[in-house]
Amino acid sequence: MLQYAPLTVADGRRHSVIWPIAMAAVALSMRRRLSWILYGLSLLVFLMFFFGQYLLSWAQGQTAETTIRIGFIRTDPTRLIGVLRDALHMNGGAQTYRNFVTLQGSMVVIVLALAGSVLIGNDFRCGSLAFYLAKPLARWHYLAGKGLAVALMVNLMTTLPALVLFVQYGFLDSWEYFVRDGQRLGAVSIGSVRIPLQGPNPLLFGIVGYGALLTVCLSIMLLATSCWLRKTVPLIMVWTTVFFFFRLVAVALVDGLQYDARWRLLDLWNDMTLVGGTCLGLGSESFRSSRQPAAAEALVVLSMVCVACLIYLSRQIRAVEVVG
Amino acid sequence: MASADIADLATLADGEAILRILRVSKWYGGVLGVNDVSLALGPGITALVGANGAGKSTLMRLAAGQLRADLGEVRVCGISPLRPRAKAIIGFMPDGDRFYEDMSGHTFVATLAGLHGYSSAEAERRTRQVLEQVGMAGRSERPLRNYSKGMRQRIKLAQAIVHEPSLLILDEPFAGIDPVGRQQFMRLFRGLAAQGCCLLVSSHELDEVEKLTNRIALMAHGKLVGAGTLTDVRDLLDQHPLTVQITVREPRRLAALLWRISDVRGVEVRDEGEVIVRALAPRRFLQGLGALILEERIDVERLRTLDDSAEALLRYVQRT
Repeated sequence: MLQYAPLTVADGRRHSVIWPIAMAAVALSMRRRLSWILYGLSLLVFLMFFFGQYLLSWAQGQTAETTIRIGFIRTDPTRLIGVLRDALHMNGGAQTYRNFVTLQGSMVVIVLALAGSVLIGNDFRCGSLAFYLAKPLARWHYLAGKGLAVALMVNLMTTLPALVLFVQYGFLDSWEYFVRDGQRLGAVSIGSVRIPLQGPNPLLFGIVGYGALLTVCLSIMLLATSCWLRKTVPLIMVWTTVFFFFRLVAVALVDGLQYDARWRLLDLWNDMTLVGGTCLGLGSESFRSSRQPAAAEALVVLSMVCVACLIYLSRQIRAVEVVG
Repeated sequence: MASADIADLATLADGEAILRILRVSKWYGGVLGVNDVSLALGPGITALVGANGAGKSTLMRLAAGQLRADLGEVRVCGISPLRPRAKAIIGFMPDGDRFYEDMSGHTFVATLAGLHGYSSAEAERRTRQVLEQVGMAGRSERPLRNYSKGMRQRIKLAQAIVHEPSLLILDEPFAGIDPVGRQQFMRLFRGLAAQGCCLLVSSHELDEVEKLTNRIALMAHGKLVGAGTLTDVRDLLDQHPLTVQITVREPRRLAALLWRISDVRGVEVRDEGEVIVRALAPRRFLQGLGALILEERIDVERLRTLDDSAEALLRYVQRT
């Protein structure tokens, strides 16, 4: 029989409650077959980059002849592979990682749109939140737990594989790759702000920074929209509007009607890519359309969206919502 | 009857009260869910009785810290139940039974145990122990979607007691439970109460409530109309005519004599020496009846109250 004594949980352990919330959320989202298909697709993208880099590097090492003939053109194979590498952006440079994270990120957006209702919507819709709020949790514990679940999903598909690619390219190229980047003392710029680096690899900084940006923005936005809409279909519709329709509108306004480049700030995905690219040291010239707003402006827009979402979340996850 | 009077009956000293509700009101928009309710509970089992919409669930959610009171205050061991510290000593079994349907019962309870800050090994140990207590050992590995209503109730109870709470709030725990399960639950509840736990149990199953405890809190239209033992509550309801059946050798003589008692409102003589008397102010009436029987040397074979049950009280409260 249980002995009834007042329960005391040490303050340090109280924060550990975030982990079970996150694990339960991840486990539930993994049960969807469609999620696994999307994970599979993102794995294919990763493998394309992984083996693409490997293949090009291997091919470069196998060219014994000084020239080869492609149709009527004779060319130096090493140069040809170099051109291919640059054209495909599989050269271990900043653009490689930006392209990879952006590609994976678009997959993450779909996964999250599908998982949102399972992660959070069900807690409101089915009343499971009553069980959570009956436990010794603060509101932020619940939010942090769910946010951690989203962060795990985002980083497993973006930051982690990008870091694997970074390490792989270093091994394929030479140790110089790591050393060279480590020696980039200069400064990394995020918009007009310049952060001096005294040792960390700027590419590493860029990958982690871009991953962190996606994690924070997507987690908060997903929590807020799931809390608001609660069901899968409306959630997908809203995310499609935000990440696809707004993109079309922004492109039409800026590239079509030649409005001010700031109209592109409507496209939140572009804002994330812009800020993420800046973390990697890439400017607006690396975009297909060079008419881009400043990265600092994009960062401000993203921050405002996140703050608005956090305010909404804070109001929603009050005790009264349990019966709402 | 003023709710303050009712509160006085149940008021305990500060040190004794585990749950203290003081003049609490809760609105849902323009609808008053709970109206100026005061109640103090110590260790033991108290049944919260009332019809649908009486405000039982709202009061329980206020006590469990799931709702914030618009007026008044709720304290659990002196702490607001909205604070995580208080929730560590509250066990709450909500009325709804929608879970994560893909999860197994075992995982569900273990996950919620983890939210109390236990290590995974400790959460696992407690989960196994508590599933055994609620009769779910060996059948908790299936997904929750395959559970019957009774099994869901058991899982809900398991998650509520997994952290050894001092205050256990159970919203309709007997709903969907088979008779064997009810006995099991009652034994468990009595065991917990014996160890000093304060249990607040709401139920529509009034027969079960009467078997479980003699202490009830009666709610109607958002107000607490009575709290205490069944008889105490009955006494509070002075305007509720008490019906008493008296079996005597001379029923007609007794019927005539009964009119001497001022609280008597009706007397009926039935066959086989039975007199049915209806009276107000039950305690005063019963004292008067006792004195009359002694004075007139009436040979009473049997005397019993016909409506001194929770169900009768509930029916009466609903009508008023």
